Amino acid sequence: MTAPASPPPPRPLATTVAAALGAALLLVALLLPLATRAILGDDTYWLQVLIWVMFFAYLSAAWNLIGGFAGQYSIGHAGLVGIGAYTSSVLAIQAGLTPWLGMLVGGALAALVGGVIGYPCFRLRGTFFSLVTIAFAEMLRVGLELTDRLGPIEINGVRGLLLPVLGDRPWMFQFTSKRPYYYAMLALLLAVLAAGWAVKRSRLGYYLAAIRDDEDAVAALGINPARVKLVAMMLSSFFAALGGTFYAQLVGFITPTRTMSLDFSVQMVIMAVLGGIGTVLGPLWGAMVLIPIAELTRAFWGGSLQGVHLIVYGVLLVLVILYWPQGIDPWVRRGVDALARGCERWRAAPPSAVSVENAPRIALPADGLLGARLSRNGAGPLLSVRGLSRSFGGAVGVRDVSLDIAPGEVVGIIGANGAGKTTLFNLITGALAPDGGEIQFDGRRLARESPDARNRLGIARTFQIVRPFVGMTTIENTMVAALPRAASVAEARREAARYLEFVGLAHRLDVPAGGLSTGERKRLELARALATRPRLLLLDEVTGGVDQRSLPGLVRLIQKVKGEGLTLLVIEHNLRVISAVADRLVMLHLGQKIQEGLPAAVVSDPEVVQIYVGGSGTKR
Amino acid sequence: MRSFWQATVSGLLIGGIYALIALGLNIVFGTMRVVNFAQGALLMAGMFMAYWLWELGGVHPYLSPLVTVPLLFGLGYLIQRACVSPLLARERAREPMSVLLVTLGLALVLENAALLFFSADFKTVQTDVSLATFKVGGIIVSVPRLVGMGAMIATCLGLYLFFTRTDLGRAVRATGQDREVARLMGIDDARIYGFAYALSAALMGVAAAVLVPFFYVHPALGTSFLLKVFVIVVLGGIGSMPGAALGGLIVGVVEGIVGLYIQASAAQIVLFAVFIGVLFLRPAGLLGVERQ
Repeated sequence: MTAPASPPPPRPLATTVAAALGAALLLVALLLPLATRAILGDDTYWLQVLIWVMFFAYLSAAWNLIGGFAGQYSIGHAGLVGIGAYTSSVLAIQAGLTPWLGMLVGGALAALVGGVIGYPCFRLRGTFFSLVTIAFAEMLRVGLELTDRLGPIEINGVRGLLLPVLGDRPWMFQFTSKRPYYYAMLALLLAVLAAGWAVKRSRLGYYLAAIRDDEDAVAALGINPARVKLVAMMLSSFFAALGGTFYAQLVGFITPTRTMSLDFSVQMVIMAVLGGIGTVLGPLWGAMVLIPIAELTRAFWGGSLQGVHLIVYGVLLVLVILYWPQGIDPWVRRGVDALARGCERWRAAPPSAVSVENAPRIALPADGLLGARLSRNGAGPLLSVRGLSRSFGGAVGVRDVSLDIAPGEVVGIIGANGAGKTTLFNLITGALAPDGGEIQFDGRRLARESPDARNRLGIARTFQIVRPFVGMTTIENTMVAALPRAASVAEARREAARYLEFVGLAHRLDVPAGGLSTGERKRLELARALATRPRLLLLDEVTGGVDQRSLPGLVRLIQKVKGEGLTLLVIEHNLRVISAVADRLVMLHLGQKIQEGLPAAVVSDPEVVQIYVGGSGTKR
Repeated sequence: MRSFWQATVSGLLIGGIYALIALGLNIVFGTMRVVNFAQGALLMAGMFMAYWLWELGGVHPYLSPLVTVPLLFGLGYLIQRACVSPLLARERAREPMSVLLVTLGLALVLENAALLFFSADFKTVQTDVSLATFKVGGIIVSVPRLVGMGAMIATCLGLYLFFTRTDLGRAVRATGQDREVARLMGIDDARIYGFAYALSAALMGVAAAVLVPFFYVHPALGTSFLLKVFVIVVLGGIGSMPGAALGGLIVGVVEGIVGLYIQASAAQIVLFAVFIGVLFLRPAGLLGVERQ
C-alpha cells in the first residue's frame, strides 16, 4: 500500500528457506499423482488417501479462520459443509446448474447461515458459540434426515441424494479418474491457506488475534469485537461449504448422517489443534499426521472396529491441549530456522545486524505527536457527569456522583478500595450501564453506546490490571489500536512505533508482550490507549504494582501526555504522584463524592486524611 | 384432548430426567465457567455400569447408584485433577475455552471405547418396573418415568439444602461467584473444583439408574442427551439451578406435544427454533442473571 518510510530490512534467510521449502512441497504435491501412477500403476487408493489428507486439511483450515484465529470454537462446522453439499447438489439435480457455480451459491448461503447463528453468540462469551454451533449442526442434520421434500424439491431424508453419474464432464465437476479431483482439492487447499495467510497479515488478522487474547481490551480500543468475529465466521463458513460441494462431487452421494456428523465437526477441530491452533499451516500438519493414522487403523482392524481412530484422535486432543498446546507448527518453524542457520554457516556470511537498537530512529514531529483530536463541538466541559448511580445487588458502587472536566484538565480520583473509582470508569466507558444519572461527552449525551463506540467518540482507558494481548509483540499490541484509523497495516505499524517511542518502549518493539515487566506493560497500555487518538483518557492506577524506581519515569510520562493537551481522568492511590500530575482532585468514599478541589487542599483535608490514614473507611 | 394431556404428562416426566443431567452440567459451569462436553459420556458410562450390574450381578438398576455414584464421583475427581485443573490454572486470566476441547476429547474417547468394547447394539434392561404403568384420570403414567421425576425432585431438594446449608456447599457457590475472593477467605479452590466436577459426575449415576429401566443403553446415547441439555441450559439460564429444572421440563413437554401432533423427531427442530429465539431475545436465558 503506502511505501515504508525507512528502507525495508533485508529479507531474513529463514523466510527465503521457508519459501523454498514451500515451493518444493508444492512441486511434490503437483507431481505426486504422476509418480504414483508410474510406480504403482493402479493408484486409486493412494490418490484417495492423499485427497482425504488435503480435504481434511482444507476443512480444518476453514475452521481455523474462526476457531483458531479468533479462538471461537465452532463444533458445528459439519453443518456448514452439509449446506454446501446439499445446495450445489440440489441445484445440479433440479436445475442442471454446474457445481462449479453451485458451490459459490452454497458458500454464500453458508456464510449467511454462519452469520445468523454466530451473531447473537458473538455478543456473548465463547462458550455460547460452541453450544450454539453444535446444536445448530445436530438439529440441521436431524431436520434433513426427517425431510423428504422441501416444497417441490426432493431431498430424500435419511436416504440422501445420489448425484447422477455423467461420466467425464469437467464442466459439471465430474471425472472418471481421481486425478482431476486431486488437483481440484489441491487448488481449494491452496486457496484457503492463501486466505488464511492474507487474513493473518491484514487488519482483520490483528483484530482477531487480539480478540483471542482479551475481548474487553479490544473493545476499549474502539473495535467492535462482535463484528470482527462475524466477518471471520462468515469467511470460515463460506470455505467450509465449498468443501461440502467437493465432497458431494467426489463421493457422488450425500446423506445428512454422513455429511453432517458430529464426529466430522470434531475432526476439523482436532486437526487444527494438533497442527497448531491459530497458525496458517497448522491444519495441514494436523491432517498429514492424523489421516494416515486413521487409514492405518482401518487397514489393521478393517471396518469392524470403526471407532478406533477416533479413540486415538480423542487421546491426542487431550494430550496436545494439556502438554503441547502450541501443536506441531512451532517444530516446523524451528526446523526451518535450524536449516536457515545451517545455510548461513555454509555461506559464511556475517549475521545480518539489523537489531531494533540500530534500526533508523523514527523522526518525531515537533508538535501534535499524539494527533489528539482537540477540536471541540461546543464550549463547556468536555465530560460532564450528573447524578450518576450504580449498585450491584444491594451493594453501592457509585451513588449520585456529579463531575465536570474541562478540556485540557487533569482530574485525579482518589479514594480507598471499594470507593467506586473503577466503577465510575466503567460507567463512563460504557462497560457498565448506570442505574441513574447522565453522562455528557463533548456536548453529546451518552446513552447505550458500547465501549467500542465510546472509544470512537474519543474516550480511551487503561485497565487497573494491565491487559496486554500476550500472544502478540509490543508493536503488534499497539498496531491493533492504531489500525482502525490507519490507511494500511504498514501505516499502523509506523504509527504504533511512534507511540511506543513516545512512552519509551522503542527498544522493546518486537518483544512478546508477555515478556514485559509491569512498568513496561503499563507503558504499553498507555501507548495503546493513545494510539486510538482519544480526546479524553482515563488512566486506572498507572503506578499500581510498579516498583519505586520506575515511578518518577511514569510520572514524567503522564506529565508529557498532559503537555500534549490531552484531557485526563486519573485514578491513583499514591497521593504524591497524583498531586504532581493533577490540576484538581476528587475524593470518592463509599461510592459518593465527598471532596473536590485543588490537590494540596484535598490532600490535607481532615476527612480525607482520616479515611486514608485512619482506615475507618472500610468499616461501616 | 386426552392425548394432549397424555403427551404433556409423558413429556414432563422425561423432562425431569433431562433436568437432572442439566443440573450436572450447571454445577460445573456455575463453579468453573466451563461447559463439560464429557457430561453425556459420563451418563453413558453410568448407564453401562448399571446395565452390567444387572446383567452380571442381578443388581436392580435402582440400587446401582450405591456402586455407580462413588465410581463416577472418583472418575469425575480424577478427570478434573488430571485434565481440567491444569488448564484452569493456565487460563486463569481468560475464559478457559481449552477445557471445552479437552472434555470434548474425553467424550470422544469414552464414547468410542464403549463402541469398541460393548458394540453398537441397543441394550435394554427389563425389570419388574420397566413396563409398569397406572392410570390417573384416564392418563397413563409410566412408573419408571415417575421414579425419574421423583429422583429429580429429590436431587434438586438435596442440592438446594447442600448449597445453602452446608459449609462445603457455600464454599462451592462462593468459589463460583468469585474465585479470587474465595481464595482470600481461605477456600481451597482447587479442591472445590475437583469436588464440584466429581459431584456433577456422580449425579449422572443417579440419572443413569432411573433411565436404564425404560431406555436403551447405547454408546452414542450420552451425546444425544447432551445436545438436548445444551438447549435446556441456554433456555433456563446457564449456571442457574432452577433454570435447569424449568428448562428441562419445558423441553420435555415441547417434545411430547410436538411429537404428538407432528412427528417425534420434528420436536428437535421446534426446540432449535426456540433455542435461537432465546439467544436473540434473552441471551442470559429465562432464569439467568446477566453477569457483567
